[in-house]
Amino acid sequence: MNKGKIVSIHSFRGGTGKSNTTANLAAQVAMAGKRVGVVDTDIQSPGIHVLFGLDETKMGKTMNDFLHGKATIREIGFLIGDHTGNVAGRSKLAGKNLWLFPSSISGREISQILKEGIDFNRLNEGLQTTITEFDLDYLFIDTHPGLNEETLLSIATSDILVIILRPDNQDLQGTSVTIDIARSLDVPNLMLMVNKALPKYDAVELKKEIEAQFNAPVAGVLPLSFDMAENASSDLFSLRFPDHEWSKGLRAVAEAILAVK
Amino acid sequence: MSDDILSQLKKTSMFSGLSDDALSVLAEKAATRKLAKDDVLMRKGEAGDSLFLIHKGWVKIVTVDSKGDELIINRCGPGEAIGEMALLDRGPRSATVIALEPAEVLELKQDVFQQVLDQRPDVSLSIIRSYSNRLRFSTTYIERAIDWTQRIAEGDYSFIDHTQPGLKNTASDDDKATQLLSAFFKMVKSVKEREDGLKLQLEKLTFEIDQVRRKQEFEEITSTEFYSKLKEQAKALRQKRAQG
Repeated sequence: MNKGKIVSIHSFRGGTGKSNTTANLAAQVAMAGKRVGVVDTDIQSPGIHVLFGLDETKMGKTMNDFLHGKATIREIGFLIGDHTGNVAGRSKLAGKNLWLFPSSISGREISQILKEGIDFNRLNEGLQTTITEFDLDYLFIDTHPGLNEETLLSIATSDILVIILRPDNQDLQGTSVTIDIARSLDVPNLMLMVNKALPKYDAVELKKEIEAQFNAPVAGVLPLSFDMAENASSDLFSLRFPDHEWSKGLRAVAEAILAVK
Repeated sequence: MSDDILSQLKKTSMFSGLSDDALSVLAEKAATRKLAKDDVLMRKGEAGDSLFLIHKGWVKIVTVDSKGDELIINRCGPGEAIGEMALLDRGPRSATVIALEPAEVLELKQDVFQQVLDQRPDVSLSIIRSYSNRLRFSTTYIERAIDWTQRIAEGDYSFIDHTQPGLKNTASDDDKATQLLSAFFKMVKSVKEREDGLKLQLEKLTFEIDQVRRKQEFEEITSTEFYSKLKEQAKALRQKRAQG
């Protein structure tokens, strides 16, 4: 029954490259032949859908309508392979099983959802229906930064939680709390991904230090990259520049996700 | 006295090519000035009405950076002329000149200077030649500065260790430019070292998690009713999935 895994991607602070990472991870897992869905939690701001080449004006109904029973999940999913255009990286997704599920979970809407009684169980049922209907192997959720209620819901339902952090004190501090919460909510698989590491850092040392600090695996240390920043939000970087160090680090994280039993 | 001055004038690069006859005209009008160490011969911005020819000792040509610190742009010694720019273009002094040691200079006032220029094309030519030398030095200086800046842009700081600021009063333009720029590029290097130090510090900082704050924030989140309900539901879900 519970075939597909829910993978939440989280970071305590903004600016860690979370949306970019989520889109690239989902794309890599789809490239590996898996059936993948991505829940874009914030279609109002440029995020995942832009990376996948989708225009928010074309997305009529959202996950919110589905959770409220106003739409079927079939009406929500966009097959990315049909919308890749001629963009170098993205066009590699043609024919792959990768769907985007737009949703809009702003602070106001979540409180509305909670008031209307869409609780954890209903959210979870919705996600399970999505997995079943599309026969998904993985459903990625791009969560909001911080630890507000909707993020806690996402973490609680996750089979795998990937926490992205930059190698600085503030991110480490916030990550420590997120890890404690994830353990308190019994998330079975927890992994860290270090992004925007200065090239000066010894990636192996950094991985060792952070793993020792949290007693949790670091699935990849990805460098701070100007190429990446320049390309950001126009294409899927890891598909466009597969030999780049950032892409190699990202694939290591994708492999860690694929390795979870 | 005038004979002594004449022999001094002969040793300067600006006037060495002149005949004794021409030099004696100048020598008559020139006056000797003695400087103690750290005496200021001229100040940047002042109106300039004389040319100085160094007879003995060394002086430094300095300007002041935005922090008020002295930045040495050149050093001049026996036989060299200074202050000739203001004499010709009537602009204010372009830099400050301070004696590095007890020194002796010959001073030529502007009116005398002008007179000589009008009468003696050979003196004018000699002065133009000295400008040309100064310009050549500036070109070497700029070339060296560009070369070093490029190396730093490529991340190569190694050459700075092989340079030494102002140890000797060398003759060649190239050596002189190297010495003068060395002080500046050593500053650039120390900025780089400070930056590297910060990066190392950052790496060490990864160990500094505030455990008290961590606990407080965790308790803040988990003490809500929403959370305890969520935790229960999540637990039930995990059990269901495990059986599933």
